[in-house]
Amino acid sequence: MTIPRPLFQAAQKTTLALLVTTVALTILFPLFFLFTFSLMSDYETYSEWPKPLWPHSQVRYRMEKISPQTTRLLIWNHGQSQWQPFGPEHIEANEEVAKKLSRFLTNYGNTTLSPSEILSHVQKAQNSGFHEFTAQKSLSQNYQRFFRLYSGAADAVLHSLSTALLTILISVVIGGMAGYAFARYVFKGKDVLKLSVLFVRMFPPVAIAIPMVVILGRMGLYDRPAGLSLIYSVNQIAMNIWITASIFMGIPESLEEAALIFGANKRGAFFRITLPLAVPGLAACAMYSFISSWNEVINALILTQFRPTFPVVVYKSLLGANAQVHLIAAGSIAQAAPAILFTLIIRRYLLQMWGGVKV
Amino acid sequence: MTTLTLTNLAKRYSRSVWGVRSMSLDVKDKEFVVFLGPSGCGKTTCMRMIAGLETVTRGRIILKGQDITDLPPKDRGVSMVFQNYAIWPHMNVYDNIAFALRLKNVDRKELNQRVKKVAQMVRIEPLLKRFPGQMSGGQQQRVALARALAVEPRLFLMDEPLSNLDAKLRVSMRTELKTIHQESGATSIFVTHDQSEAMSMADRIVIMKDGEIVQTGTPEEVYFQSANTFVAGFIGTPPANFFPVEWKNGKLEHPRFQLSPPPALHQAIENHGKNRLILGVRPESIQVVREEEALFIAPVLVVEPQGSHQIVAVQVEDEVVKLIMPPACGVQPGELLPLTFDSTRLHLFDEESQLRIPGY
Ligand SMILES: Nc1ncnc2c1ncn2[C@@H]1O[C@H](COP(=O)(O)OP(=O)(O)OP(=O)(O)O)[C@@H](O)[C@H]1O
Ligand SMILES: [Mg+2]
Repeated sequence: MTIPRPLFQAAQKTTLALLVTTVALTILFPLFFLFTFSLMSDYETYSEWPKPLWPHSQVRYRMEKISPQTTRLLIWNHGQSQWQPFGPEHIEANEEVAKKLSRFLTNYGNTTLSPSEILSHVQKAQNSGFHEFTAQKSLSQNYQRFFRLYSGAADAVLHSLSTALLTILISVVIGGMAGYAFARYVFKGKDVLKLSVLFVRMFPPVAIAIPMVVILGRMGLYDRPAGLSLIYSVNQIAMNIWITASIFMGIPESLEEAALIFGANKRGAFFRITLPLAVPGLAACAMYSFISSWNEVINALILTQFRPTFPVVVYKSLLGANAQVHLIAAGSIAQAAPAILFTLIIRRYLLQMWGGVKV
Repeated sequence: MTTLTLTNLAKRYSRSVWGVRSMSLDVKDKEFVVFLGPSGCGKTTCMRMIAGLETVTRGRIILKGQDITDLPPKDRGVSMVFQNYAIWPHMNVYDNIAFALRLKNVDRKELNQRVKKVAQMVRIEPLLKRFPGQMSGGQQQRVALARALAVEPRLFLMDEPLSNLDAKLRVSMRTELKTIHQESGATSIFVTHDQSEAMSMADRIVIMKDGEIVQTGTPEEVYFQSANTFVAGFIGTPPANFFPVEWKNGKLEHPRFQLSPPPALHQAIENHGKNRLILGVRPESIQVVREEEALFIAPVLVVEPQGSHQIVAVQVEDEVVKLIMPPACGVQPGELLPLTFDSTRLHLFDEESQLRIPGY
């Protein structure tokens, strides 16, 4: 049986579209999911079903008069489309209660209302039987709370950043130089050597944890970004050697020779010709190094104690007994954002084209 | 005045691989010399040694009285057009051409002028802002030329610069290169394995084989005075035909014919004093005549029309002999052709050494 050509082409296109969509969804959906959760309040996270696709930016409250002295607070539940009691059973109109309620609304509703504002709302409810008002939801609150709650999270970001940048520096420079040598020079045992650099990637980090801790301790680098970046670099250099070797192999030697003839010395030829042509590849290396060191948990868990990296903090927050999904979501987004940002920045170099032709 | 002198230049890549065995050559001022030879004979190697891209195993390279054998490439005052152009893809045409001038700190105004001048010479002025990836092969090749011309080199090397072009462009570029050479007056060495390219462009042709020079001479010399059977069999389209002959009783004897050579040749053979010889005859020196005048008669195998002429292959003994005939002369395969040689245009070689017999 032969399939008609237009039908075949349509099927082909559809399959491709489906494939691309699937890939996009598997990447985008978790990110989107985490992102919406990171913007929700505690109440929205645990009491509202189903979840909105896009979180609300405002919270609707209603105060109802119960008796001349007491009032109660209700919140609009978007899931069930009805008012539901929120907070204490009844509110007396005094300073102490207003302060407590203000803190409660901050923590569980992600809304900031000062005690005096609350008292004025209570007053209005007392006057007219009930009173409805909306409050602006603070979108950054979960992030702030994550960093306040898990102490050292802010420092951990700095540690992670310096670890990642150091890893890029070490692994791209060393890996790149080795890659260049593998691409351009002929020497004994080249293939064996090139293959054997991959062996370092075969050891499970847990298996060599103790020696790593001891050695880093002796070097005075235990629990420091520098020490961690050394460990990451060992793995990453192997990868970068392979990537850069093939990049340099793809750049014809005659381009360098031409530079030599037209007045450059060997170093000049490398920096003016080969390096600029290798930039896209090196950018890919840098990106790969950044992401793998930024997201690494196991080695970081073993090799840090008081100066953990950010993924370790996020990991530990997941283990916490009172798992607060919206806070963890905020932490995860905080973790993913720099990697995404870095990728977007480096994309310019990754896709660098010289006059419309990819090199 | 000589520009370049090579003395016993040799390059050995590894124990058994020689790139160039021994080359000695003088290149005169403003001369256009072509290195010609089959693939793998060491043309590129020689050129790379002159440019300084390859270390020299033995011998010296003297340029304008200066020994440059061990100088780094940038100090040699030599520029080169690479076989694959090697223009830098991340720079536009202007920057490609200006690269060398910038490194020499030529001032802005002069740099601009010189770039414009060479761009005009190779006719790529409108393309100065383009990147190599946006140009055709022929245009890229002009950029490579312009880049090499811009530095006003003491010596201009070209390694098969036309080999990647289509047939038509190649022929027109030949003429252009020749014009550019005359305009710029740069001493040039041009490598090719295309002998018609060599014949049409060269002031002097250097024919190479297995890393050595076989013959050096003007296109006429290598064509009419080929130094050995290799040269005679390499130059010409189609190349010379060979007949093993024996010198007997004042005649050249071949199983199919007997030939009395003209007096000068007769004398030369006598002086040479050997009997076993090889007779070389160029295709255009074989003539179709009336049967009574024929030296021998041979059956036609193939007729290859070329437009302006026809190449006719005939069978003589076990050999295929090619000759040139005017177009539309109505020769058919299988036909018997009465043939003779133009006796003033014969080449004779010693069978043992394959060298040309001197003195005629
Ligand atoms: N880098 C090298 N290492 C080892 N041998 C080499 C190297 N380059 C060339 N050769 C050898 O040296 C000889 C001459 O090579 P060369 O490149 O000079 O030939 P060529 O005349 O330029 O040929 P072509 O017309 O095919 O370009 C060849 O036998 C080749 O195999
Ligand atoms: Mg070559």
